[in-house]
Amino acid sequence: MPSATSTKEIELIVEHSGRGGGGVSLPPAGGDGGGNGAGGKKPGKGQPSSKRYFTGIAVGIVSILMFFMALASAFLVRKGTSGDWVPVHIPALLWINTAVLLISSGTLELARKHLAKADGAGFKMYWMLTTELGVGFLIGQVVAWRQLAHQGIYLASNPASSFFYIFTGAHALHLIGGIAALGYVARQNFSEANVTRSVAAEVTSYYWHFLDALWLFLLALLYLGK
Amino acid sequence: MFSYDDGANTHPSAETGFLSRVLFSTHHKTIGLQYLWLTLGSVLVGMVLSALLRIQASWPDTAIPFLAGIENAPERYAAMRLLHGSLMVFFVLTAAPQLGFGSFLLPLQIGAREMAFPALNRLSFWMTFASLGGMTSAFFLQPDMGVDVWLVSASVFCLAGLFSALNFTTTTIELRAPGMTLPRMPVTVWAWFINAILSMLIFSVLLAGCCAVLSDRLLGSDLFSATAFLAHQPRNLVRQGSLPILWQRLFWYFAQAEVYVAMLPCFGFATHLVATFSRKPVWKERLVVLALCGVGVVGFCVWGYHMFATGMNPYAPLVFAVLASSLGVPAAFLLASWLATLWNARLRLTTSMLFAIGFISLFVAGGLSGLFLARHDTARASVSEDFVIGHFHLVMGVAATFAILGALFFWFPKMFGGRLNETLGKVHFWMTFAGVYAIFMPMHWLGLLTQSHLFMEEQRAALASAGASIQTFVTVATIWTVSAQGLFVFNFFSTLLGQKKVEQDNPWAATTLEWSVGSPAPEDNFGGSAPVVYRGAYEFPAEDGKDFAPQHLSPEQLTQERH
Repeated sequence: MPSATSTKEIELIVEHSGRGGGGVSLPPAGGDGGGNGAGGKKPGKGQPSSKRYFTGIAVGIVSILMFFMALASAFLVRKGTSGDWVPVHIPALLWINTAVLLISSGTLELARKHLAKADGAGFKMYWMLTTELGVGFLIGQVVAWRQLAHQGIYLASNPASSFFYIFTGAHALHLIGGIAALGYVARQNFSEANVTRSVAAEVTSYYWHFLDALWLFLLALLYLGK
Repeated sequence: MFSYDDGANTHPSAETGFLSRVLFSTHHKTIGLQYLWLTLGSVLVGMVLSALLRIQASWPDTAIPFLAGIENAPERYAAMRLLHGSLMVFFVLTAAPQLGFGSFLLPLQIGAREMAFPALNRLSFWMTFASLGGMTSAFFLQPDMGVDVWLVSASVFCLAGLFSALNFTTTTIELRAPGMTLPRMPVTVWAWFINAILSMLIFSVLLAGCCAVLSDRLLGSDLFSATAFLAHQPRNLVRQGSLPILWQRLFWYFAQAEVYVAMLPCFGFATHLVATFSRKPVWKERLVVLALCGVGVVGFCVWGYHMFATGMNPYAPLVFAVLASSLGVPAAFLLASWLATLWNARLRLTTSMLFAIGFISLFVAGGLSGLFLARHDTARASVSEDFVIGHFHLVMGVAATFAILGALFFWFPKMFGGRLNETLGKVHFWMTFAGVYAIFMPMHWLGLLTQSHLFMEEQRAALASAGASIQTFVTVATIWTVSAQGLFVFNFFSTLLGQKKVEQDNPWAATTLEWSVGSPAPEDNFGGSAPVVYRGAYEFPAEDGKDFAPQHLSPEQLTQERH
């Protein structure tokens, strides 16, 4: 039951958001107290908070994780119950690809450091490098698939190879999304948008690091669970 | 927590073209209504299909459209059941309470201008629509190709569901108006929020399952397919067909929780309507919210109990039986809260309230037969098609439909301005209420009598003939119930076309934020600035002894208004 105390609480919140008591009068420019960059450009327009993008990406990551967990549990159950399991020996190239992907996470952080110091050229350089490393990883994956195909191991060969291709393929699809996001952050003109470049870069970086960690998990699963 | 982007996403005015106003509008109310139209179409088709299925079951010789044409093949009957199920589960039970009412009402109830990601909301609507088209066309295709099209459509629906869930979660976390603290959120908002998190987790599992099956079917991979596997297995295992169990597990992981995805927002509606029309606060509101969380968590964990019929590790059933039965705890608490709220209240028996009470009745009746299915030993006796169909139609299908109808009668003024006819509504309610009990209660009996695994073969044959009359009764009741829906359709369209402006903005004397603005809700929701919330959502009666205190009035404004 709300009482006098909760009314006080409200007034605090109301004050904090820079509005008159009871929402009767409307102040011209409504910064919402978060203060994350880019002050109100047009009078009478509140600046939408960019926090939603962080929440959104966090929630999105959880559901992507769930997708891979479902496949992983199918992998383990299928392996445990079948007699037709022919383990796939992971091509050595995959280790190099993994290193490339790990390095790309590092360069992404370097790029963000340069962005924070308002060093546009440094940001561009490292950001492009990250994108190139991402593309390099994808090319490496395709080469690894072709090596396997050369040995006669196809998607339809046996359950182990099916799972190998499905895992790497699904991860590659998600990574293509990440590369698209990297390209968007680099090219988009943020002067008119709701968010600043640094916010977009930070949100993208969460996704990228997540894909990095997800790859390590999948690799461990494929390597140890073969 | 608070950000009200006034004007950031302006709704296109009436002058803008049809395309941008209808097809590409990213406005949450437009999209919410489109979901509801989609539901209305699906539910009507789905209902007619159920009547056709019943007629086929009772009088196999009648010529039935779509069944008779193609030599009455059993596949056609199966395909029709699949279409009925897909329409009802995906586009009615999942789409209406969460996506339809949720998209329309969530921003209004938390005092926001828009969803967090309006364009994503639009995208999920079109994906849902495409999926509806796909599942419907699958029915008309050859079985083999139809299954592929159905699987693709289901994957698209999962993606759409994931996008919406992401939108709902983020909106609830980030866009609440000042003062809308978590304990002050209406129970409906809580239900949508918990449901969005649950959908987030399970739709990705079904998506993974669908992708894997599709890859097996189209690319020839070996994730679930049995061919290579069966060659390596001892004979006795092959006979049991044990491999598809893996797909079934993933599927039921989704499908069992999907029941709660349909039910959670309905629990929210029932709680909201019961409190509003009892003029009393929700009994133990915080515990109700906890119970909703409990339903979400346990619902997520009980997938295994669908496997009793297919066989699994002998120790597993015990675990799942305990889990399944423990669902009774939050469910019983919700029931206790509804009854305690109703207790000694000056009830306003509007049509909306009747449907809410009808929901409670059906939920209890259907839930009780669930107890038989939750124990693996009694399940063995009662797992028969008719018993299970009776159980889940009562508890999920019909109960949820009642909650949806109650919500529609309640929020119709907010959506369209007019008010549905109460007399017609009440006649419709009683006809439907009697009809659904007459369909599904005998169906439980039918299941126990004629299909139980406990009877001997000759006993079963004798009982089957006795069951024939029950079969006919059920079919007649189905036709009665389906035709009663004509009343609702008439009521709905005549009110919509007559379009009388409702007398007051707040016809039900409700407390939540959506009633602080005009009916129908204005295009910009709360105008230039976010409303400020001063109290919980169920202040009946108000502290000063008056009937109710709306959430948006400050104590000073409240005293002013009353003098």
